[in-house]
Amino acid sequence: MKKLGWFLLNLLIYLAIVALIVWGLPQFLSWKLGTQYPIAAITSGSMWPALKEDDIVLIKKIPKEEIKVGDIVVWTNDKGFTIHRVVKLNPNTLVTKGDANFAQDPPVKYEEIVGRTVYWKDSKPLRIPYFGYIAVISGKWRGGQK
Amino acid sequence: METDIQNKFSFGSWWGMLKKKEKILLTIGAIIFLVIFYIALDANKYPATVHAIAGEGKVGINPTTEVLDFGDLSPGTSAVRRVDIKNQTPIPMYIAVFRFGAVTDLMKLDKNFFVLRGGEEAKIEFTVYMPASAPIDKTLNGRVILFKIPGPWR
Repeated sequence: MKKLGWFLLNLLIYLAIVALIVWGLPQFLSWKLGTQYPIAAITSGSMWPALKEDDIVLIKKIPKEEIKVGDIVVWTNDKGFTIHRVVKLNPNTLVTKGDANFAQDPPVKYEEIVGRTVYWKDSKPLRIPYFGYIAVISGKWRGGQK
Repeated sequence: METDIQNKFSFGSWWGMLKKKEKILLTIGAIIFLVIFYIALDANKYPATVHAIAGEGKVGINPTTEVLDFGDLSPGTSAVRRVDIKNQTPIPMYIAVFRFGAVTDLMKLDKNFFVLRGGEEAKIEFTVYMPASAPIDKTLNGRVILFKIPGPWR
């Protein structure tokens, strides 16, 4: 009986840890970074070599005044989200471009900006390689795709 | 005395000391090890390389069959290399290609993780596209390993 009690207690602790990681971590990051979308998975090579396909980056909400040329920002659009580098700031819009792309993107309104990537050191974006693959696959499963 | 020690540590006596369950587990382990060893040994291994050059629309070709050499590419250009594989056995093979190194970030495959039936042939196309952010005058290297895993694949 005592053994069963220990087993159940251990199981409960493990489940609590898993729940904390799966549910609690995004909640914590969302609160800490001030955005509804604190984690982004990179699904294309348009920002190579700064960001690589299947990387995960953290996104921090920043006010319009703090956005600078050279920042890597995420914005919402019809396709979902795009993450590119700011190349020009206009009064009502900003212009971005993927590092690996030749053409600039159409101007983006400041209201569409979700946030900027969290920096590591020397203004390099903090990225976790390969973890984006897991996020993309789990996203597909949740969406009922294969 | 020496003979006693030799007998004690001979394979036969050691094997005899094992329980039936242990023998089964060891045999399965040995078979799995041999299969993995064979697959790793039989895999096709290709070094891959590409050199980024300045300019527009410039492509330099370095023909070779042993290396996936994409030559000199300027930003905006791409090169394709093909690998032909033929299954000369009657057993279906599962083909899995794994890529390592800096060049793999720029490399795309037209197919991967597929079954090649007995006697069938297939071509795998590797395409390297040099983006606008390519590091000029730098050579990007990598390695491509093509595993052929025999099995009752459908």
